[in-house]
Amino acid sequence: MTSTIDAITLEIVWNGLLSVTDECFITLMRSAYSTNIKERHDHSIAIADAKGRLIAQSQGSLPIHISSMTGLIEMLLKKHGNDIAEGDLFLANDPHVAGGTHLPDLNFAMPVFVEGRMVAIVANIAHHADVGGSAAGSMSGGLNEIWKEGLRIPVVRLMHRGVLDQDLMDIILLNMRLPDERRGDINAQIAACRLGVERVKALSDRHGLGLIETAFDEIVARSKARMKAEIRKIPDGRYAFEDVLDDDGLDARDVRFKLVVEKSGDRIVFDWTGSDAQVPGNVNLTFNATQSCVFFGLKAVLDPDLPNNQGVLDAVEIIAPLGTVANCVSPAAVALRANTCQRGIDVVLGALSQALPEKVIAAANGANTSAVFAGNDPVTGKPYVYLETLGGGMGARFTKDGKDGVQAGITNTSNLPVEAIEMEYPLRVLAYGFVEDSGGAGRTRGGLGIRRVVTPVGHDCEFSGVGERFVHQPWGLFGGEPGATGQFLLTNADGAMRRLPNKVRMPLRQGEQVTVETPGAGGYGPPAERAADATTEDARTGKFSAEFLARAYGKSD
Amino acid sequence: MGWLIGVDVGGTFTDLFAFEPGTQRIVVHKVPSTPADPSEAIVAGLEQLASRHGVDLGGMARFAHGTTVATNALIQRRGGRLALVTTKGFRDLLEIGRQIRPRVYDIQTDYPPALIPREHRLEVDERIGSRGQVLGELLDAEAERVAFEVARLDVDGVAICMLFSFLNPEHERRVAEAIRRVKPELHLSVSSEVQPEFREYERLSTTVLNAYLQPQVTRYMERLGSAVGKLTPGAAIGINQSSGGLMSIDRASRFPVRTALSGPAAGVIGAAHVARLSGHPDIITFDMGGTSTDVCLVRGGKAEMSFGREVAGFPVRMPAIDIHTIGAGGGSIAHFGPDGLLKVGPESAGAVPGPACYGRGGTAPTVSDANVVLGRLPTELLGGDMRLDRNASVRAVQPIADKLAISLEAAALGIVRIVNANMMRAIRAVSIERGHDPRPFVLMPFGGAGALHAVELAEELGMRAVLVPPSPGILCAQGLVVADLKESFVATCRTPLAGDLAHVESELARLEARVRDWWQTEQIRPQEARRELVVDMRYIGQNYELGVAVPDSHGDGLPPAAELARLFHATHERNYGHHNAEAPIEIVNLRVTGIGRLPDIGAPKFDRGPARQEVRTRAVWFSGDGPVDARVHWRADLAPGTELDGPAIVEQLDATTTIPPGYRATVDAGLNLVIGAAS
Repeated sequence: MTSTIDAITLEIVWNGLLSVTDECFITLMRSAYSTNIKERHDHSIAIADAKGRLIAQSQGSLPIHISSMTGLIEMLLKKHGNDIAEGDLFLANDPHVAGGTHLPDLNFAMPVFVEGRMVAIVANIAHHADVGGSAAGSMSGGLNEIWKEGLRIPVVRLMHRGVLDQDLMDIILLNMRLPDERRGDINAQIAACRLGVERVKALSDRHGLGLIETAFDEIVARSKARMKAEIRKIPDGRYAFEDVLDDDGLDARDVRFKLVVEKSGDRIVFDWTGSDAQVPGNVNLTFNATQSCVFFGLKAVLDPDLPNNQGVLDAVEIIAPLGTVANCVSPAAVALRANTCQRGIDVVLGALSQALPEKVIAAANGANTSAVFAGNDPVTGKPYVYLETLGGGMGARFTKDGKDGVQAGITNTSNLPVEAIEMEYPLRVLAYGFVEDSGGAGRTRGGLGIRRVVTPVGHDCEFSGVGERFVHQPWGLFGGEPGATGQFLLTNADGAMRRLPNKVRMPLRQGEQVTVETPGAGGYGPPAERAADATTEDARTGKFSAEFLARAYGKSD
Repeated sequence: MGWLIGVDVGGTFTDLFAFEPGTQRIVVHKVPSTPADPSEAIVAGLEQLASRHGVDLGGMARFAHGTTVATNALIQRRGGRLALVTTKGFRDLLEIGRQIRPRVYDIQTDYPPALIPREHRLEVDERIGSRGQVLGELLDAEAERVAFEVARLDVDGVAICMLFSFLNPEHERRVAEAIRRVKPELHLSVSSEVQPEFREYERLSTTVLNAYLQPQVTRYMERLGSAVGKLTPGAAIGINQSSGGLMSIDRASRFPVRTALSGPAAGVIGAAHVARLSGHPDIITFDMGGTSTDVCLVRGGKAEMSFGREVAGFPVRMPAIDIHTIGAGGGSIAHFGPDGLLKVGPESAGAVPGPACYGRGGTAPTVSDANVVLGRLPTELLGGDMRLDRNASVRAVQPIADKLAISLEAAALGIVRIVNANMMRAIRAVSIERGHDPRPFVLMPFGGAGALHAVELAEELGMRAVLVPPSPGILCAQGLVVADLKESFVATCRTPLAGDLAHVESELARLEARVRDWWQTEQIRPQEARRELVVDMRYIGQNYELGVAVPDSHGDGLPPAAELARLFHATHERNYGHHNAEAPIEIVNLRVTGIGRLPDIGAPKFDRGPARQEVRTRAVWFSGDGPVDARVHWRADLAPGTELDGPAIVEQLDATTTIPPGYRATVDAGLNLVIGAAS
C-alpha cells in the first residue's frame, strides 16, 4: 500500500493531476450551453482523495468555488460514505446541508474506482443562469429565506452505477426556468466528471495506485509546510479591522463584519467573532464562503502561486460563530454572497494592511454588481434571462494605480460582448465605459468604475439589480481617499433620470433605460505625494475632471 | 520554372533555402541577421547565393519570406502612434477588454496597457443594429468632424472599429474615406476589412494591433520590395502569414497583424511537407529551442488551424496555424520550488549567459547541462565550432543531486524527465484535448533540442515513430519554399440551420466571388486554384462556436443542411466527446480561404554534406541503471537504407538525435531518420 515517492516523481504526478483538472475545465467550458460558463468561465474543477481532502484545482478556478467543492465532498462522504459505487454521480447545491455557497452553483462529483475501491473523487461546479425560485436568474436581492432562492438539492445521486435517474432529472429541470439550457450545461458537467475519472484512472494505471495515494499525502503535507513558511513571513501581532455591507436588501443596514487576525510564529487565526448576527436578506455567508475570503486574501498578499488544496486550507484557523453573517445557518438566504465575500476580502486585506503594507491594496470596488434583464423575446416569444456582473475599480497599490474597470477579489468573470447581447437578447447597450472621477485620489489612485446603459427593444421586461458599495465608499489606505460609490439610474422615455434602490427588481418599459454605475476604488498614500506626470495624465486622459483634480491635488490647470 | 527561395529571419541567423524545380537542386545558406534592418541580411544572403553557389537570381520565380518585424515591434512596443474612431459610448472598451485580470489571485499584475491613449480615442455618433440595420444614421458632417479631429492629432495611423460593422461596414467605410480626404498619408486599419467577425472587443483589439504594426511593417515592406525587386526582377514576392500561406507585399503592409506568427507557421509548413514526402501525413511537430517549444498537430498533411489567440498579451482574431507554445526549452533552468520539489523552467538561461556548458558565464543547471551530464549531447557542436564544457555542467547539476541525495546522473535524468513531462503536456494539449489520439501520429522534432527528447516523448505517449528531417535547423526556410498563396475571407451570418439558408448561401456566393477576384489579381491558374470552406456552427444557445471544415468533395456552394448538421455533430463529438443529435444548430460564421497552390515541385535532393566516415563510442545514460556504450554517428555518413540500432547517437551541425536501447533508426530515401521500436 504505502510507497515512497521522490521529489522528481512527485513533481510529475502532481503536474499530471493539475493537467487533468485543466483538461476538464476546458472541456466543460467548451461543451456547456450557457454564456455564463462558456464566455464568463463561472466554473471550476477539483480532484479530492478518498478522505475528501482537496488535492488539485484547475488553474482558471474562481476563488469562491474552492470551498464549495470541498464542502460538497465533505457532505457527500458524511452522507453516503460507505455506499458509493463506481459510476455513481452525485449532485448538490444546498448551502446548508450540502456544503454549497449559493443555489445557482450546481456541484457534481464522481468517484474514481481502482482495484475495486474508491481512491479519489472528481468534482466540478458551475454557476447556472437560473435554478428556479421567486425571481428569474435566482440571484435577485431582497429574498429572506433560502426556499425563495431556488430549488434546494441535497447531496443526491443523479446516476446510479452509470445509469441516469431520469425521474430526478425531470424534477430538477421542471423547477428551472430554462430547462433546455440547464440540460445542456448539466450534460457538459457530467461529461467533464467522466473525463476526469478516466484521466485519474489512467494516472493510477501509469504510476501505480500506491504511489498515487502516497502522492496525495505528500501534496497535502508539502503544501501545508509551504503555507506555514509563508505565514511565518507575516510579522507577529494582532490585527483588527471591520467594515460594513450597505444593507441586506431588506431592512438591515450597515451589516458589520469584524475580524481579528492573531499571528504568532506559523500559526494564524482569523476570528470573525463580533460580526453581526445573520440577517434576513440574502447576503449571508456560509462558513465555506468565509473560508474562501480568507484564503483569497492570504494568497493575494503572500504568493498567488500557492496551490489550491487541503494543505493550504489546513494551515489556517478560522473562527466564525454559528448564526452570524460569517457562518449562517438554515434557513438563511445566501444568493448574493459574492457581494458579501468582496466585503470579507476587504476586511481581510484591511487587517493585513497593518502587517504587510506594501503587499495589500486599498479597497477595490468591493461589489459583484449584478444586472439581470428578463422577459419574453417579442420576436420569438421565448423567455430569456440575461445576467451580467460588472467589474469596477481595482484598489490602488503600493507601486501603481488601481486598474480601471476590472473584476476584483472573489470574482473574475468576463463581460458578455455587446454584439453577443444584442444578437441574443431583445436588448440594446447604449454605452459602456468608465465612470470618470470615481477613483479615489492618492499617491497612487484607485481604479475607475464602469458605466453600462441598457434598454429593452420592442417589449417591456424586468430589471433586477444588486449593488453594494452604493452607500459606503471603498476606503483608501495610508492617507489615500476613498473611491466613489456606485448607483443604478432609470431614465424615462422623456429623458428624466432618477436613482433606483440599491437592490431593485422592477418592470422596465420600452423607451426606458437603466444605467449601471459600479463603484470605483480607494487610493493609496497621501494625494499630495502623487507625481506631477501622473496627475497630468489623469487630466489628459479625461479620466478625472479639472474640478476633481483641483480639489484632490490642488491642481489649478 | 526558375529558382524558388525561402528566407527565414531568426534572431541570430537568416536562413536561405533555394530550390530549383526540374534539377531538384537545393542550396542552403546562412548569414548573420541584421536586426536593425532585416532586409540587409536578406540582400547579402541573396548576393552570396549567386556569387558562391551560382544561383541565377535573374531567373528566380519566387521569393518567399518569413518575417519577425511585426512580432519584434510588438514585443518592443515600437509600433505607431494611433488614434481610434469608434461608436459613441464605447471608447473605453479598448481598455476594459473582457474586464478580467490575467491571474485570479494576483492583485498586482494587469494586462498590458491599451495601445491607444484615451484622449486619442474618438467617438462618432452612429449606430448599426444586430441585423445590420442602421439605428443611428452617420451624418456626413459627423464623419467630417471626426476626420478633422483625427487630422489634428499627432498620429501615424487610425484604427476604425464600430459596433456591428461586420454586418454593415458602411459607416466604417465612410469615416475611412473622410479621413483619407483630409489626411491621405495616415495609415488606416478598418475592422470590417481586417477581420469582419462578431465580438467587438476581439475585433477591436485585432484592428488596433494591425494599426499599431502598419507604419513599421509598411516601411520594411517597401525597403524589402525595392531591394529584392532589384536583385530578382522576375520573382513574385510572398510574405508568410500566420495561417501558413503567402500574401503579397502590398497586403502584408495593409494587414501586418497577419504576420504575427509568420516564422513558426513556416516551420510547420516545412515539417508537413517533409513528412508528406516521406509518406507520413499525420505528424505532431515538436520544435524545441532554447527558451520555448512550439508544437502543432498536422493531419492528412494539413496543419490544424485556429481563429483566435493571444499575441503579446492582446487577443487577436485571425486564421493561424494552431501552434501551442510553452516556455520550456534547452535553456530552461532546473530549480527547487517552494514546496521542495524539483522544477524546470520557466526561467531560462537564454542565449546569454546560456547553459553552464556554453562556458559564457552561466552557472545555473539547464536542460542542456543535464543532457551533457548524461552524455547525450556531445562536447562539441556546430561541427566543432562550439565546445561544450562538461565540467561546467557537472558543477551546475551537482547541487541538485546533493540536495536530493542522489547521484549526479539520477539528478540529470530527473531534470530530463520533468522537462519531458512539460513537453508531454503541450503535446496532449494539441492532441488529446482537441479530440485526437496521438498514438497513430509521428513525432517530428526540429529546432536545436527536439531530437534529443523526441524518442522518449513518443514512447511515453505511445506514438508510432519519430521522424528527424535531414536538416532540422532550416525547416522554416524550407517551408517557405513550398508554401501556398492564401487569402482568407470571413462573414458572420448567424442563422438557424433548420431555417431559410438563402442569406447564408448568398453570403457564401459573395465570399466565393471575392476568392475568384483574388485568384485573378494574383494570376493563379485554374489548375492551381482551390478554395476551402469552414463553417463555424454551434448549438442554439451556445456561445462558443466550432469551426467545421467542409470536405473539398462538396465543391462550391453550401452543402445541404443535413450534411452540415452531420459534420457539426461529428466535430463536436471529436472535440468534446459528446453531441446532441436532437438539439437545433445555428451557423455563425463562414470562412472561405482562397488558395493558389504551388505546382508539384517534387522532392528536393538533399546533399548529405561532407562525410566523416567515422563511428565513435560514448558512454550515455538512458536510464538510472547505468551508462551504456552508444555508437555515435555523423549524420552525413548515413546513406539511405542505413539502419542503426540503439543505443546510438546521431550528430550533425544543427541537431543531435538520441536513439535509446530497444529502438532502431532507418534512413529513408529523403534522408530522414525514422525511429521506431526495434522488433
